[in-house]
Amino acid sequence: MSIKRRTVLTGSAAGVVSLTSGLAAPAIAQSDPIKIGYLPALTGPSSSTGVGINRGTQLAVEEINKAGGIKGRKIELITRDTQSDPTKAVNAVAELTQRAKASMIWGPVNSGEALAATPLIARDKVPMLHPCWVDELIDVKKYPMAFRIAPTNTQVGGGANHYVVDVLKLKKVAVVSDTTGYGTASANTYVPMLKAKGAEVVYTNHVDAANPDLKPELLRMQSAGAQAIMPWSVNAGFLSRILNTRGAMGWDVPVVGQTTLGSGQTKALLEKPENWNKVYSNNFRNCCYVNGKLPPRAADYVERLKKEKIEFADTLLWWVALGWDGAFMMADALKNAGTKNEDIVAYMNKVKDWPGIYGTVTWTPEQHNGFPDQEVVMCEVNSLRDGAFNIAPGYSS
Amino acid sequence: MFASIISYGLAVGAVYALIGITYNVMFSASRVFSFTAGMLGMLGGVLGALFIKDWGINAVLGFVAVLACGAVLGLVTEILTVRPVLKNIEQHLYVLSTLAFALMIQQVTAIEYGTEAYPFPVLIPIDANSILAIVDQKFWLPVLACIVTIVGLEFLYRRTLIGRAFLAIAEDSYAARALGLPETRLRMASYALAGVIGTLAGFTGAQMLLAFIGNQPILNFYGFVPVALGGMGSNRGAVIGGLALGLFQQAANFLVGGIFAAVAVFAVFIVVLLLRPEGLAGASAARRV
Amino acid sequence: MTDTTASTPARAGATSWLGKLEGKISWILLGLAGLALPLLDDSYIGVIAQRACIYWVLSAGLNLVVGYAGQIAIGWVSMLTLGAYTTAALAAGRVGAEWNPYLALAAGGVMGAIFGVIVGLPALRLRTFYFAMTTLGFATIVTQVALAWKDVTGGGVGTPGPTFPWPFEPGWGFYYFCFILAAVATWMTANIGSSRYGRALVAIRDAEVAAEASGIAKPKLLIMVFLLAGALGGVAGGLFASLQSYITPDAFTFEMSVLFFIAILIGGRGSILGPVLGTIILTALPEFAAPLVQWSTFLYAVLLLAIVLLVPGGIADLLDFKNRRPLTQHREIVPRTELLKRALDKTDGKHSIVLKDIALHFGGVRAIDGLDLEIRSGEVHGLIGPNGSGKTTTLNVISGYYRPKTGTMKLDGADMPFDQPHARASYRIARTFQTPRIVGAASVLENVMIGGTVHGQATFTEAMLSLPRNRRDEKLLRQAAMQALATVGLESLADVRADRLQHSELRFIEIARALMLRPAFLMLDEPAAGLSTEEIKRLGALIKAISREGTGVLLVEHHADLIFDICDRVTVLNLGKELAAGTPAEIRAHREVVSAYLGA
Repeated sequence: MSIKRRTVLTGSAAGVVSLTSGLAAPAIAQSDPIKIGYLPALTGPSSSTGVGINRGTQLAVEEINKAGGIKGRKIELITRDTQSDPTKAVNAVAELTQRAKASMIWGPVNSGEALAATPLIARDKVPMLHPCWVDELIDVKKYPMAFRIAPTNTQVGGGANHYVVDVLKLKKVAVVSDTTGYGTASANTYVPMLKAKGAEVVYTNHVDAANPDLKPELLRMQSAGAQAIMPWSVNAGFLSRILNTRGAMGWDVPVVGQTTLGSGQTKALLEKPENWNKVYSNNFRNCCYVNGKLPPRAADYVERLKKEKIEFADTLLWWVALGWDGAFMMADALKNAGTKNEDIVAYMNKVKDWPGIYGTVTWTPEQHNGFPDQEVVMCEVNSLRDGAFNIAPGYSS
Repeated sequence: MFASIISYGLAVGAVYALIGITYNVMFSASRVFSFTAGMLGMLGGVLGALFIKDWGINAVLGFVAVLACGAVLGLVTEILTVRPVLKNIEQHLYVLSTLAFALMIQQVTAIEYGTEAYPFPVLIPIDANSILAIVDQKFWLPVLACIVTIVGLEFLYRRTLIGRAFLAIAEDSYAARALGLPETRLRMASYALAGVIGTLAGFTGAQMLLAFIGNQPILNFYGFVPVALGGMGSNRGAVIGGLALGLFQQAANFLVGGIFAAVAVFAVFIVVLLLRPEGLAGASAARRV
Repeated sequence: MTDTTASTPARAGATSWLGKLEGKISWILLGLAGLALPLLDDSYIGVIAQRACIYWVLSAGLNLVVGYAGQIAIGWVSMLTLGAYTTAALAAGRVGAEWNPYLALAAGGVMGAIFGVIVGLPALRLRTFYFAMTTLGFATIVTQVALAWKDVTGGGVGTPGPTFPWPFEPGWGFYYFCFILAAVATWMTANIGSSRYGRALVAIRDAEVAAEASGIAKPKLLIMVFLLAGALGGVAGGLFASLQSYITPDAFTFEMSVLFFIAILIGGRGSILGPVLGTIILTALPEFAAPLVQWSTFLYAVLLLAIVLLVPGGIADLLDFKNRRPLTQHREIVPRTELLKRALDKTDGKHSIVLKDIALHFGGVRAIDGLDLEIRSGEVHGLIGPNGSGKTTTLNVISGYYRPKTGTMKLDGADMPFDQPHARASYRIARTFQTPRIVGAASVLENVMIGGTVHGQATFTEAMLSLPRNRRDEKLLRQAAMQALATVGLESLADVRADRLQHSELRFIEIARALMLRPAFLMLDEPAAGLSTEEIKRLGALIKAISREGTGVLLVEHHADLIFDICDRVTVLNLGKELAAGTPAEIRAHREVVSAYLGA
């Protein structure tokens, strides 16, 4: 009887195997779509960037497919919303790499999710492209198939530091961050960089973003003699409270920092519009107005989008451009190298001066950070129109 | 800096105290601690900003509308989450039912209103040169609300018939019912009142704390600390505890920084609970058998 | 073959074998599905399954805290956080040398155990909302510390999780590791759940006062449970760190905590299988209901409210087919006093409890005002008086719930301490309650077994590992409980859920539970209330028989007939003072008593 039971069991198990292997081995015909796994954060607490990038990505894929796809094969974007939650990202990676057998992965777009997803994607040997800034995400030894199409945090902070020290020529700086991962990591990286540039960091602290009262912080900065405030946070409430407190104190120092300083949410939280004066946030040279005009590539792009009635009222040009660039970069790789992972990586390792709307990308086998330093600039946050800003005063045009 | 500690500390403390009173009013009527207290505080800010800033309703009407919403939510809390589990109160299912209700409201708010902190409109147009402008209204509004509430409650409980009926229920609900007091209706009235006080806290504190979904867990915890310190059911204890907590937190923020303040408050909370479970000013526990 | 030709006794054997299988079939199916899962060869399902197993390791421990002991630990995700960071930091060599990942995982469990107890401490003195708040507060603090303590945790950038070497390397190897640990956690917690410790936890949850009277020391037991639940949470954290491959503080959300908590309640309190299913469903559901993902927390909350209000028993109740079979109508309780000889130890020695000059006030009210009382073995001592005269209060002083302001209490001449209700069981003083304190969700047999908790020999660890001593305990307790039930005439209802019984039956169950102590003294608080005339007569005979086996009985009662029928001596109380005392005949003749209470 026990023997019989076992045969039944193995029999059924064998049945399961054959059934799934039948499903898991589709015939690859040349007209089948090429699958790209896509991990945006479309909901959850830090999703506005993801939503903007998503707009560009979807537009690009639509355009690529309309133009015939990649050698006749359409791109199929398999989207899994990571909801700004690393655990969801881990589940999604398994689905995209193992079950869907995606040829490439685009994303995750938030660093918390990317930190968890990158080692797993590397383990499954799928080429990935992402726009996150955290430095640790690119490591050609650990993750030989991961490429970054955006600047690193070091570059972003370096751009801000460069502006304060070399352009504004201020030497006494206060650095403050919120207590989130992004905030603490940024502040801890940038303070030594500032010091290396010869600036004096007169004050530095990590503050709980929920803290309603930042006056003590600013008073301490002021009494330490700070000539510029560099806040590192993606929390609009926190940043607006810094700006409002600065305004209420009548303290006329420049505030130089992360892109959220210029977001609509930060603006909505300001007590007075003047509190946004002398605030400079990170931006990217290709997406900034210089003397009232966008650089030619971005200008063409905006013209095209305007014809298709794409609005920039609730998003930023660089987000959409980044999403667009990501999709086209992958399409280029697939077009030139096919769908084999080593071929894709070999192709991407040789990309040089790839003319994106958002950035000019160059990778080498040793360096998978593709964004050039000189394209990280600062902009005037109160100059927003059509999703882009004026480049900050002092840059050579 | 000292002035800043005092003004912010008292203002935040007054909000904590009001949330503590919200807990107490519900507790006195039903022996139930409800997770909806922080939710009411959060909604006071969110609904206020929604009505006055987004929909352009006049500030006074908006204020009344917010409090009315609070009262309605209080009633819903009583009917939906408290009354059904009251007969088996020793199973403490109310902790779960009120938590569930508070989470539901929080999620709806998050999806419909957003998870960011939004600004709250300035309520009272004050000339910058007037005496009232010496201290910003965002500081004195919650303190004023706290004073009005505590005086009002004292008057209600000591001087009016219905207030005495509230007290009778709080003392001994069996005896109160035996006396023919309409226990259910009084309980509903208490929950409506708690709804009003909770949203009042959130509304008057919102220029400082903003219209922010994240205020719910913060107010839930920091509003409960004064209740634990001051003794459950004691409104005076809640006010003293709330103000002390606000001042302590702000002082710690100024002197050592946020995270130490949070750890310190938590440590004090645990130690007080272990040494004096009934609170620093509370009476010892009731009979069990 | 046996089925077709079975004789009657064989069939009876077969049904009990089937009955056992019925209880285990879900486990067998679940285990087989778990073992066979890799055959699907779909690592996406593998990842979801790993996650479900890991969450279950935590939930298994939390289930004892929430489902069994009824402690509302909403923020238990903090144990996951602690375990994850401990394991990851040690394995990555952020503290000293790099540890072997398996050792680091064990360290994560130890860390969880330590903090499980620390967080649990307030629950020893305060229940429910305070404890809920403490766990919530602690969860917030742990995350903030993880953010601030960059050297060890990597701050906001986080730290890589450990990768376990052979035999549990990433992929299906790791899946089996998680699956085995989940199975071990299930086995251990199920052992606890079905031992006297598990019954004691449920008694603390649903009938705390009765638990104390049965000698259950809540603090000691809860500390053991928090230790175990913390350790399992810590181990789950270490596995979680490995599954995530990289941990940052934002991975440990409050939503996750709510998920664990709700999974247990959906599964059903006091069940092991239900919460397992709850955890699996809640882990897998969001993966298959993507459009609803934004609303998932809202739906969890709705589910929680619905469970609390409509199906407090959860999935476990829905699966409990046994208790849907109708009970026999018109049941009779026929005690078999001849069995008492075996249920009680006949003692020849004379024992006594002597109360002298006891006084007790509630606020301004004098509940007892200078009372003397003596209870002797082998006698039934009646305590009567109007409502509020201090009868039950006297009983509560003897059983340690109230501390009188003045007076002494002696057992066989030696001082007996006031307070400490749980210590009364060791003096073999048992009692029943005015309103029966019964665990409605447990079977009648389990309820009675609770009364014998102090007779168990096995330690918590022995029970957890189901070692021989625990199995012997269980066998003896079960036999004794069956005997006690037979004595009061309820053995046919042994397997029925207690909340399905009639009120009168609950009164007799309480007596059976009290008999489990083999009491030297038995205190009965209005045992005849709500009983029919016939039942009162049988109750009287039972009480009398109990006293004739040498047990001293203190009987608080309103039924004058019962008192005068069976009492050897009677004390009449009024306003907390003795109004009269003596034999039933003397009391009957006492003019004041007659005019006041007994009617002319």
